[in-house]
Amino acid sequence: MVSQKVTIINPSGIHARPAGELAKVAKLCNSEVMLLVKDRALNAKSVLNLMAAAVRCGTEITIQCSGETEKEDLKRIVEAIKSGLGEAGEAYEGNQS
Amino acid sequence: MKEIRVSKKASEGIAVGRAFLVERDILVPVEYAVEEVQKEGECKRFKQALLDSAGELRALSEKDEVFAAHLEIVKDETLFDGVCQKIMDEGKNAEKAFWEIMEDYIAVFQSMEDEYMRERAADILDVRNRIMEHLKGRKKSFLSDEGDKVILVAENLYPSDTAFLDNPRVLGFITQKGSMTSHISIMAKNRGVPALVGAEGILEEAKQDDLIILDAGEGRILINPDEGTCRLYREKKRQEALRAEQYLSSLSLPACTKDGRRVKVYGNAGNLEEVKRAVAAGMEGVGLFRSEFLYMEKNHFPTEEEQYLVYREGARLCKEGITIRTLDIGGDKKLPYFSFEEEENPFLGWRAIRISLAMREVFKAQLKAILRAGSEGKVRIMFPMLISLEEWEKAMAVIEECKEELKREGKAYKSHIPVGMMIETPAAVLLAEEFAKKADFFSIGTNDLTQYILAIDRGNKKMASQYDYFHPAVLSAVQMAIQAAHNEGIEAAMCGEMASDERAVPMLLQMGLDEFSIAPSQYPKVKYLIQNSFFHPHE
Repeated sequence: MVSQKVTIINPSGIHARPAGELAKVAKLCNSEVMLLVKDRALNAKSVLNLMAAAVRCGTEITIQCSGETEKEDLKRIVEAIKSGLGEAGEAYEGNQS
Repeated sequence: MKEIRVSKKASEGIAVGRAFLVERDILVPVEYAVEEVQKEGECKRFKQALLDSAGELRALSEKDEVFAAHLEIVKDETLFDGVCQKIMDEGKNAEKAFWEIMEDYIAVFQSMEDEYMRERAADILDVRNRIMEHLKGRKKSFLSDEGDKVILVAENLYPSDTAFLDNPRVLGFITQKGSMTSHISIMAKNRGVPALVGAEGILEEAKQDDLIILDAGEGRILINPDEGTCRLYREKKRQEALRAEQYLSSLSLPACTKDGRRVKVYGNAGNLEEVKRAVAAGMEGVGLFRSEFLYMEKNHFPTEEEQYLVYREGARLCKEGITIRTLDIGGDKKLPYFSFEEEENPFLGWRAIRISLAMREVFKAQLKAILRAGSEGKVRIMFPMLISLEEWEKAMAVIEECKEELKREGKAYKSHIPVGMMIETPAAVLLAEEFAKKADFFSIGTNDLTQYILAIDRGNKKMASQYDYFHPAVLSAVQMAIQAAHNEGIEAAMCGEMASDERAVPMLLQMGLDEFSIAPSQYPKVKYLIQNSFFHPHE
């Protein structure tokens, strides 16, 4: 099992659209992908779980991958979150203001 | 008083009544126990609802990204697993199991501190409703027979909503979306129910029980009008009623001009019920049977046998016969069970005869059904959207093939059925002389003809005022088609909106039009106009 901490940069947090994007990326991974938010563990492949967790902008979360391809998968997820989950432009504006 | 202007007139007339908002509430599902042996089937049923929802959302997501997120929710494995677990472990039906799981999620969202996130519950609700609709079939609000007269206001009305039109309380309807050629619009016209579609903003402006004046002929909707306006409209309605009475006075006399030329006045119909309406109105034949509605109301391509029964009944009902237009889909008419490729210009794309010639088996099932019905009554075949003689020859070859097959199968059919065509493309007008040598009759479809001659999309709001069949180019095309028909000794009919326009009827008579095929509700008016016009005004 490997894990890494990352901060959510989406201005409105992980709402419907970024949650959908994250779940999509997670589904491409062979390993089990969990998000640790505060005291909760979420299945990253479930968009409903992600949305229900209401992860806000600026929250630091831990990504946990376990499986044969855990290293590549972890890298993939971290990159997706860092790049704003399809909301890069909006995230940039959010940071400026 | 608020006013909304609408360019899409589904059906003319004035109605004054209270707004009845048609809401598509999803009701809390009933719980029932699922037997052990049925549990797997129940999971499958839920899976199918997910697949159907996903299919819809995939198409929607191309236009609006929010649906891509909805699609992800539908594809969420934990959702499917969770529902199946409830079905397997607790023996709950799919609706109930699904409902409970969604309730949990909705509760989580609604309790969130962040307002933005709280609003996300709407996404979940939207997805839930979509899946639920697929699971249960569409649900509509209920309108009892008793009470004030109402005008229906809805986002859209579907073929399954046509029951509303039979309710004596319903005076007319307004939809925010929808097209004039949709099933419900055509039904409204056939029944003489005033209706406007594509009324943007109506759902925001009209509240339940608001007083509404619907002047469909003028494309006006007045919400909570003042007393003066109400008086004005009451007077307008009274005048309309007087005119209607006048039209009825000579209904039993033949459709003869003042100088003695007799023409045919037939009905347009989309199903057997509408054929019956035409016959009940006094019409002796159907000049346009829109067979596509048979296809649109089913969940599969109707079989030869299914179609045969409908056409046979249609032929039996009509003393002077029924003209069956072969499948005319594409453009704005889609089938629920067949996926059409997205097209840049659907009206210039894969539609009508083009589809029939490409889907030979579907075409053959229809032609065989018509040929068989021909042995028990007067039927005529009509091809839509032709642009070339080559298409004509190909379609005729399929008819011959069908006859051969019917002969081999030992089924009774009529070998000499009149075969005609719609004149609705500029190409057909320009080649009318040639087509007239082949076809047994023409029927001018002015709705599409106007759109194609003028290069104006008939649904385009900005161009609505210029979409006009009185444009000299359209009139000239109509004249050319009639002339070409008469030169070859065949008859020319017209089955578009123009044929029931009171400004057009006298002129069409002078052009020599032989048959008017119109909505049954327009019959008294058109007949009266014919009886009071001349074929040769100066002789």
